[in-house]
Amino acid sequence: MDTGLALLLAAAYLFPLYWMYVTALKEPREIFLNPPSFWPHRLHAEFVQVFVEHGMAHYLWNSCLIAAGATLLTVLLGTGGAFVLSRRNDRMALGALFLVLLLQALPPSLLVTPIFVAFNQLGLLATPRLAVVLAQTGRMLPLFIVLTRPSFAQVPRELEDAARMDGASRSKVFLLIAVPLARNGILVSTILVFLQSLGEYVYSRSLISSDQLQTATVGLRGFLGTNTTDWSGIMTYAAIYVTPILVLFALLQTRIVGGLTAGALK
Amino acid sequence: MYRSTTASLAAGLVALALQSSPVRAEPVTLTFWTIDKPDQAQQSYVLAHEFETKNPDIRIAVKHVDFADISNDAIRAVATGSGPDLVSIDNPEVALFASHGAFVDLTPMIKASKIIDPARFFPGPLASVTWKGGIYALPRGSNTLALYLNDDAFRRAKLDPARPPATWAELRADAAKLTDPAANRYGLAFSAIADEEGTFQFLPWIQSAGGDWNKVNGAAGVSALTFWQGLIDDKLASRDTLVRAQTDSFQTFVAGNAAMAISGPWELSGPIAGARFAWSTALLPVAGPGAPHASALGEHTFGILHTSAHPAAAFRFLEYVYSQEGRDWNEFGMLPSIRNADPKNPAHPKAYATFIEEMRYARVRGPSPAWPSISKAIQSAYQGALTHQATPQQALDAGQSAIDSAREEASP
Amino acid sequence: MSARRRSGQDRPGFLHRSGFETALLAAPVLFLVAVSALPVLYTIAMSVQSVDMFDILSLHRPFVGLRNYIHLFHNPAAGRIALNTLLFTTCSVVAQVTIGFALAVFFQRRFPGAATIRGVFLAAWIMPGLVVGAIWKWMFAGDSGVVNAILAASGLIHAHPFWLSDPHLALPAVIIANIWLGVPFNMILLSVGLAAIPRDLYEAAAMDGAGSIRSFVSITLPMMRATIAAVVSLGIIFTLQQYDLISGLTEGGPANASNVAQYWSWQLSFQTYQIGQGSALAVLMLAVTALVASIYVSSTRREVVA
Repeated sequence: MDTGLALLLAAAYLFPLYWMYVTALKEPREIFLNPPSFWPHRLHAEFVQVFVEHGMAHYLWNSCLIAAGATLLTVLLGTGGAFVLSRRNDRMALGALFLVLLLQALPPSLLVTPIFVAFNQLGLLATPRLAVVLAQTGRMLPLFIVLTRPSFAQVPRELEDAARMDGASRSKVFLLIAVPLARNGILVSTILVFLQSLGEYVYSRSLISSDQLQTATVGLRGFLGTNTTDWSGIMTYAAIYVTPILVLFALLQTRIVGGLTAGALK
Repeated sequence: MYRSTTASLAAGLVALALQSSPVRAEPVTLTFWTIDKPDQAQQSYVLAHEFETKNPDIRIAVKHVDFADISNDAIRAVATGSGPDLVSIDNPEVALFASHGAFVDLTPMIKASKIIDPARFFPGPLASVTWKGGIYALPRGSNTLALYLNDDAFRRAKLDPARPPATWAELRADAAKLTDPAANRYGLAFSAIADEEGTFQFLPWIQSAGGDWNKVNGAAGVSALTFWQGLIDDKLASRDTLVRAQTDSFQTFVAGNAAMAISGPWELSGPIAGARFAWSTALLPVAGPGAPHASALGEHTFGILHTSAHPAAAFRFLEYVYSQEGRDWNEFGMLPSIRNADPKNPAHPKAYATFIEEMRYARVRGPSPAWPSISKAIQSAYQGALTHQATPQQALDAGQSAIDSAREEASP
Repeated sequence: MSARRRSGQDRPGFLHRSGFETALLAAPVLFLVAVSALPVLYTIAMSVQSVDMFDILSLHRPFVGLRNYIHLFHNPAAGRIALNTLLFTTCSVVAQVTIGFALAVFFQRRFPGAATIRGVFLAAWIMPGLVVGAIWKWMFAGDSGVVNAILAASGLIHAHPFWLSDPHLALPAVIIANIWLGVPFNMILLSVGLAAIPRDLYEAAAMDGAGSIRSFVSITLPMMRATIAAVVSLGIIFTLQQYDLISGLTEGGPANASNVAQYWSWQLSFQTYQIGQGSALAVLMLAVTALVASIYVSSTRREVVA
């Protein structure tokens, strides 16, 4: 009963994704058909062609590299910050939290020009993927900290205090008690940061000038230009881009998201 | 630096003369930003590749930048000294780049050139790259607008596709006969989107009625906008005309959901192939009997940014582009910008004849360094009236005052 | 206030004032200052200067005081866009949190496949804003759009509404797409919060005879306060950043009917190169965010001590 309702909700929610796949499978002419067809009259699968012609392999590789880099840096820098902010409420900590939130107020589309100017002056544009990793980390850190902080807040302090009394150092308490107990929250935030970084577009477009180093989102944008709006191609590209992540996610998600329902803490 | 450029230039000229003699000079690498895409055999990539083969001393690294972003990116790059050597800029924005000294003044190089003869340019394309007497970019080709007709739909509606609508009144009457809600078909597809494409589509209407981009709120502007408003209010064109780019609108014509469409020659190098009906082209209808023909002059131009370390080598690429104008129609979906560059066997010969004739009426947008603001004001005006947030007169009055203040700010 | 702080110090509180923690906190803050604070300061500076896009490298530009702000307020579109921004943000956040919470509670029930099906919802979060914009634009098309086809087939509408080109529908259309985009994020975060509530609290409440509504009000909501505060503030901040979707769907049109501050700021700076006014608008958005951030921070202050 509940399962049926859940499936129904999921199906309704995922309809846009279905529409992406159906559009990808239609002939360009059928796409503009009015009223639209819910199933392609003639299959028009160009997945391999689009993948090869658009050099998607290296685009996807660059996307993964940048997303992994930004995620790694975000987690390394942000986990400790989230922990401290869950434990302290003195003026310095609150000021830090305020600053962290405020600094991500502006969308990348507005921040990118000053970032471009600054990175250009620092010579960072010579390593454009690193430049995007840094800029994207700046964007994801506040998100990660704010998301992860409540998980640390839910770790009972008594455990840490007890370990501390037993002579454990502060860093040990953090790494061996707090982090493992908050791992579900950290993991979920990490995944959200990674997925968001995979979709990063504005910084990659502006900071990376070599096509060989460019990401898949920028490659996708190439379709959306004037004078040739190939919707079938766009949706095929989008489908190729999204499908592996979906499959990977489907395989791992019982472990990732399923961990949530278990409830790490009793 | 200067010496090596001169040396490579000399070497290149020798290579050009002897076709394929070995060259010893250090190769120069030019960077080139373009709106073309690498995968579709588009002009920038094709010509850059050919140029490299003919000039082994010069390499061209071509980068695709989206149409909407290229001016912006080029400005940012030139301001920080990190720009490419060559960049493709839409023709109404050449004045912006030229007036800020961002483009190299090509006039002396053109004078010295054995290949480029400025007298061969059609007046419109030449005016679009000229700023205060200097030539700051070269047209890579040209485009303009024409009316596409679905001949089969015309016949079904008992209309003769050989007698296409010549005036606005005829266009409206034909569109009304061709519109068939039951068959999900509109009479006409065009674009009134709020970006440069929409401005490009709107100006010919104002111009045929006697106005222009710098005088939009007179009777001409009001009659043009009222006519557009009528097409959409009376459902002769889809309301989504306001959010569809030209190709998206044209796709509804290809799919049979619109019986006529206003678009450019770029549709012929791909989209039109999907049409399952007989089609033809005609000149844009004029405001009334005896009214002047008008059409918009479009297409990107190639310029050299002043930060380029290799302007001479970059100019040689521009010479090569110029020398290949004859291929514009058949290979790149554009019209030639120079006289006597007609292809021997043009594809779609009838459409070619229409577009070539229409080119005679194609007018430049601007030139004005404030073009982006002027264009925005025009877009706000027609969108405001088409959504009935203002009458055409009110919307165009507001547009006119925005245009006037933008021009004033640009020329202190 | 001081009493509260003292009660915090009554604990064996090793956590106060340690070098290790200061370092943990300083690392992300310094990084953010380096990457984000400088651009923000640069934007603030530009908002009171006359800026030529061709001269963005130099900071020495004519100072114009509040002229950019005054021009902004005198723009006839300003009122409309301010209202749109308010509507866009409020409707998006309220709906995202409500739907997200409802789904999180629903999936908290242990039925076969609950975890798997819930995971599927995250698919939307994977989609880049660009793609989401393209798909929804497609679905919302007035003539051949699937949304209208479904509504017509179910007999709900007779004439086709033009979602993206009707000035009354464009903003709702953008909001609907944005809600779609934000629901999984809210649901997952709220699920994490729900999962952390000790089960025995509910068991104890059940033994006391509390019904499901009462335990929701007396246990779930209070325990979720920190998470809800985080989700709402982040939701507001994220919604104020939503740019890709608007760019993909309506570009703020028709006639500014769906334009919002963040998109307008971009248009001013990078379409018409009125970068001073674009920056002024960005600064106003910063001020709003500062307000939201301070509300969030003060909510955490209570929660840390509690």
